[in-house]
Amino acid sequence: MKPAPFAYVRPATLADAIGELAATAGDGKVLAGGQSLVPVLAMRLGRPGTLVDINGVAGLDTIERRGPVLRVGATARQRSLERSPKAAAVPLVGRALPFVGHRELRSRGTVCGSLAHADPGAELPAVASCLGAALEVRGPSGTRTVPAADFFQGAMTTAIGPDEILTAVEFPVAGPGEGFGFAELARRHGDFALAGVVTRVRSADGAVAEAVISGFGVSDRAVTRDVTDLLRSVAGRDDLEAALRPGTEELAHDVVNTSGDQHGSQGYRRRLFAVLAARELAGAYRRSTEGRS
Amino acid sequence: MTTTTPPTGTTGSRPADRPPQRPVRAAADELVDVSFTVNGTPVSIRVPARMHLADALRTLLGLTGTHLGCEHGVCGMCTVLIDGDAARSCLVFAVQAEGTDVVTVEGLGTRERQHPLQQAFSHHHGLQCGFCTPGFLLSSYDLLVHAEGPLDPQTLPEEMSGVICRCTGYRGILAAVSDVAEAHPEGVPEPMNCAPRTLVGRGGGMSRSALAEAPAEEVAEEAPTALTRPTGTPTITVTVTRQLTSPVEDVWAVMDDVDRLARCLPGAELTADLGGDRYRGRAKVALGPVRLAFEGLAQITGRDADDHRLALLAQGADAGGNRTAAEVGLRAVALLDGGTELRADAAVFLSGRIAQFGRALAGDVSQRLFEQFADAVDETARTGTAPEVGSGPSALAIGVQAVLAAVRRRARAARRALKGRLARRRKD
Repeated sequence: MKPAPFAYVRPATLADAIGELAATAGDGKVLAGGQSLVPVLAMRLGRPGTLVDINGVAGLDTIERRGPVLRVGATARQRSLERSPKAAAVPLVGRALPFVGHRELRSRGTVCGSLAHADPGAELPAVASCLGAALEVRGPSGTRTVPAADFFQGAMTTAIGPDEILTAVEFPVAGPGEGFGFAELARRHGDFALAGVVTRVRSADGAVAEAVISGFGVSDRAVTRDVTDLLRSVAGRDDLEAALRPGTEELAHDVVNTSGDQHGSQGYRRRLFAVLAARELAGAYRRSTEGRS
Repeated sequence: MTTTTPPTGTTGSRPADRPPQRPVRAAADELVDVSFTVNGTPVSIRVPARMHLADALRTLLGLTGTHLGCEHGVCGMCTVLIDGDAARSCLVFAVQAEGTDVVTVEGLGTRERQHPLQQAFSHHHGLQCGFCTPGFLLSSYDLLVHAEGPLDPQTLPEEMSGVICRCTGYRGILAAVSDVAEAHPEGVPEPMNCAPRTLVGRGGGMSRSALAEAPAEEVAEEAPTALTRPTGTPTITVTVTRQLTSPVEDVWAVMDDVDRLARCLPGAELTADLGGDRYRGRAKVALGPVRLAFEGLAQITGRDADDHRLALLAQGADAGGNRTAAEVGLRAVALLDGGTELRADAAVFLSGRIAQFGRALAGDVSQRLFEQFADAVDETARTGTAPEVGSGPSALAIGVQAVLAAVRRRARAARRALKGRLARRRKD
């Protein structure tokens, strides 16, 4: 379990990092936290010629509130965000982070790295999709901002070009009347989820204004759907979760598009998604009406 | 540095005003100077960039208390504190430790003066063979030093799930951690054996020794020379159906032409026709950082022109010791609207390291791959020639691709030979 040899560069500026990456002509990889990349190298499933370590670039590890968004830089560790008082502005991130790997992995793993790696079973891409986060990508020709809906393009495939770096993600902060939900089922804590859901509901005076759900571990990327009509149609019911079930079961057929593996068939994942979706939509709605997010 | 709340202890924490790590540029065969602090001792070593921190600690600094299990971040044996936070030292390259403050189990306490966690593990019999103990000690230290308020017994098992123990059943470990938390409500004592001292590596300072057993280039796994039908439970099974616009006869014409069929699969290439419906080929997979190239064999094991069915068996191996095998059934069914439904059933068997990346991922990728494949078949049926499918962007159905890829390679040579044979043939 030793990686194949690679050239190693640790530039001091972002411009240098982009230059180094471009110079590798597609044979380089960005190293930030390394918690997804290093296992791939150790197993020699990948052997990039050059690693461009961006941990020497000052200022990339910031977590800051910028008006309506919480901006998380490329080398900000997941655990730093977990601990940051600023993270309270994006409650969904706080709900999801404890499920990202283990504590020991979050000490080094970065928020942006998880997004850039884009594992279809990962939590943070689903959070970014559900919230409509914006991803800032920088390359030789400048900086562009990619909405989460366009960023994730398939299993471990994103809009980041081979000579580009994901420099930051901006999560919209929670507004008034917004409630959130998060749930996943994994074989063990810290494993990638067999299926998981992230929900966001905005309500005003008890009426559903907007409801969005993202599923993960259920397709080759996080799958996001507007479920405002579904939630609205049952919002007044006593047992909201039960009332949502027929709708989420139907939704599961649309959303769950995975082939199943030894740990769960497609049918099992559909049932799982339907149950979790109903539970977390009901929970998010309840919290939205109680002003608890 | 707006983010990190410093741990309550000072040892091993990261000062907010630490300067950024110095720039480095090192070729693959070059050694890099790294300076950091281990258990209170400043150290400077020279390492290849690919050496992980655990190897550097064990081999160059003689700190063999840090154990290595899986070496890819799953087992937690190698857990150390980096700047006060528990981390897997196998997932951090030694070069990345530049300027950091590392604490290993040797820094926690001594035989004569054990840290309270060590005493509690001993008292509760939180170990049998002891292999996982250093990892558990540092993981639990990290948990306790950062805990806000008392531990919740309900969530404690999850909190401690980052390290695996194969002996104890965990009860002794959890009891030990709970005990220390109760005994030290104001915070667990700092590591007790951190002070400047002389560290001597096992390798006498030869910084390459840890990697001596790890060849830069491994001997290539031999591509299979004979096809055998896989047995046991498949790693993944994939069933996909796709509606095509072309009529079933045109689709079958593509399925019956191995060359054109193979070209419809992203990343695959036929390299030889071995006769007897057997082909040699290769398939490339590129998915995020994963890059694999399989060499393999494929065989058409069944062909039914009346029912428009094709059965294939394929297997391949890559240079990293990964093996894949698959049985694939393709069937085209005429639809009332004049189009065709193409159905694929694949049982994919993975072994080697890719099996650990299995999960549903390989299945999802296989599914996307098949969809691209089906669309390419449709286009080929319409236009007569295979489209340029490239090397497959997200597409790399690790298993199916290899299989079909293998088919593809041989296809070209195969085509001529096939013409003479007839459409109907059954071998199984």
